[in-house]
Amino acid sequence: MALKEPVLTKRIPTPPFGRFQDRTLIDYARYVATGGYEALRDSLKQPAAEVLELVKDSELRGRGGAGFPAGLKWSFLPPQDGKPRYLAVNADESEPGTFKDRLLIDFDPHLMLEGIALCMHACQLDTAYIYIRGEYHHQAKVLEAALAEAYENRIFGPGSIMGTVNERDPHCYVHRGAGAYICGEETGLLESLEGKRGWPRIKPPFPAVAGAFGRPTIINNVETLAMVPPIVERGPDWFKSMGTQRPQNAPPSVPASYGPKLYGVSGHVERPGVYEEELGIRLSELIEGLCGGMRGGKGFKAAVPGGISMGVLGTDQYDARLDFDVGRNYNCLGLGTAGVIVMDEDTDMVAVARNIARFFSHESCGQCTPCREGSAWIYKTLCRIEAGRGTTRDLDMLLELAGSMGAMPGTTICGLADGTNWAVRTILNKFPEEFESRVHPDPSISLPVAGATA
Amino acid sequence: MAWIVKDSANTQIERRDEPYLDEAMKAELEKTIIPRYPTRRAATLPVLHAIQHKHNWVPYQAIEEAAEFLGLSPSEVLDTATFYEEFFLRPKGRYLVQVCQSISCELLGHTKLLDRIRDKLGIEPGQTTPDGRFTLMTVECLGSCGTAPCALVEGRLHEDLTEADVDRVLDELK
Ligand SMILES: Cc1cc2nc3c(=O)[nH]c(=O)nc-3n(C[C@H](O)[C@H](O)[C@H](O)COP(=O)(O)O)c2cc1C
Ligand code: SF4
Ligand code: FES
Repeated sequence: MALKEPVLTKRIPTPPFGRFQDRTLIDYARYVATGGYEALRDSLKQPAAEVLELVKDSELRGRGGAGFPAGLKWSFLPPQDGKPRYLAVNADESEPGTFKDRLLIDFDPHLMLEGIALCMHACQLDTAYIYIRGEYHHQAKVLEAALAEAYENRIFGPGSIMGTVNERDPHCYVHRGAGAYICGEETGLLESLEGKRGWPRIKPPFPAVAGAFGRPTIINNVETLAMVPPIVERGPDWFKSMGTQRPQNAPPSVPASYGPKLYGVSGHVERPGVYEEELGIRLSELIEGLCGGMRGGKGFKAAVPGGISMGVLGTDQYDARLDFDVGRNYNCLGLGTAGVIVMDEDTDMVAVARNIARFFSHESCGQCTPCREGSAWIYKTLCRIEAGRGTTRDLDMLLELAGSMGAMPGTTICGLADGTNWAVRTILNKFPEEFESRVHPDPSISLPVAGATA
Repeated sequence: MAWIVKDSANTQIERRDEPYLDEAMKAELEKTIIPRYPTRRAATLPVLHAIQHKHNWVPYQAIEEAAEFLGLSPSEVLDTATFYEEFFLRPKGRYLVQVCQSISCELLGHTKLLDRIRDKLGIEPGQTTPDGRFTLMTVECLGSCGTAPCALVEGRLHEDLTEADVDRVLDELK
């Protein structure tokens, strides 16, 4: 399996099609000169519903972590009622190991802007807010500049080539966050956009029905939206010629893993970076084929498939296929953001677990007791084990704590708790010896026996 | 950690006559930011960013001024401001050094880097040098994992950092 031509990285030189060092910012003029905004212009000749149908047909799945089919999400919008409807673009990208959205913003911001415009047209959303994490100072500036060009060339604003959308002039704004991972969770993002603390909301209602400012809102990841122009330009069949099919005999309601995907590879590889490949590329192909192999020729030990909430792949899962079924096939949470973190044979998995647990305990927003208390407890326990003061019982407790934190049984408001659960549990279960060799058996406790001398 | 409540009951609030959110800033925000949103409250983050950009931190008096400007109560703005790690409700140093401590950076040796900065500045993460020039912080993933280890210095990203780079970057600012 190999991507025949670059799609999202068409204008961003990436091995094997180009060299990292040749990457430069594509401005409006260069974007248009290379076919940019043509998909938008063409689709404006079609009714909005047809564009939506086309995206639905492509079975494009969200690239922000959950893999929810984008077209399906768009079709949950209620009919227009004359009042505003919003698009919130998720550029919060804070999940450790993830740096792919940044690449798109850094070098080809208009691709995402065209995707935004297409989504606004297809869903009849009048205003888009790009929620970008506060730490992306440079990227916020790049986006502001690209937006200024887009307004100047009447992509957005009064007199837009889109005409009016939802009976209003279409607008697109940058909204900067201020350093909180949880604002990447879609409803935390909406709260933050509204000027409040980024506390995730209890669902339902889902944002498509009542989102930003209580109005219907679509939330999509940067990469998901950037994928829309190529799909509109070349059609669903072309898109579906890449990636992996749904499992045999599965009904069409089970989404497959079609299309190309950005893989951000970091950790112990020779040439880390963001690469584009078809969904379903094997981890080993990614490491050896694109990243120049393991760093210093070391052996492979473990990898995170896509952001630390997804858990880890073990040493024997080196050939894992990285598509949306990676969770089901290899016992981890899922593909997530496809921010792959590779670890070599010298890696201390206890330290890895401790680092990851610290992240979640630091970033828990504190609303739900299992998440707030559980993540801090797990972190402290792992610190104790790392320092050589853990006991065998701590290991059982870690598993029990992690297992009772998860959101899936419905004990917490958002998925952060579930991420903690999967990360801790998969590391512990896939590398048990490493933990066992670091703890002591419980010291025997002698309690005075009541009435023993009587 | 967003949910830790600070002991504000005993804090002496310093006030000055000159407003932090001055008329020029208000006019600018009114023109460029407020029209973007259906509510004034939605402008809270942009207003706090503007205040911090100008004054290098967000004093309590500025929170009151922002609240008045946004038509909110000071406690509502304070509630928002305390949630976000980037808003400094106490003065910080002239230069902010934020070192990534998340997994990819730890795998590639952020500890050595942090030790070097500690040594050089003579402070621990969370502290400011006595001369008020540097504030050191450890932060979570900066979205630059492919070029780990990395740090943000005054909002500028430094990638693939070595100990020699640390010396150079800090010396340039001294
Ligand atoms: C704790 C948490 C953090 C998240 N952070 C991000 C993020 O930084 N960027 C992102 O696109 N999605 C993030 N998500 C996923 C979003 O909630 C949402 O599913 C996604 O933005 C939808 O876009 P998509 O369907 O295009 O993927 C996060 C989810 C959780 C539970
Ligand atoms: S699960 Fe954790 S992060 Fe999510 S809402 Fe609850 S406390 Fe906040
Ligand atoms: S882990 Fe340090 S930048 Fe992502």
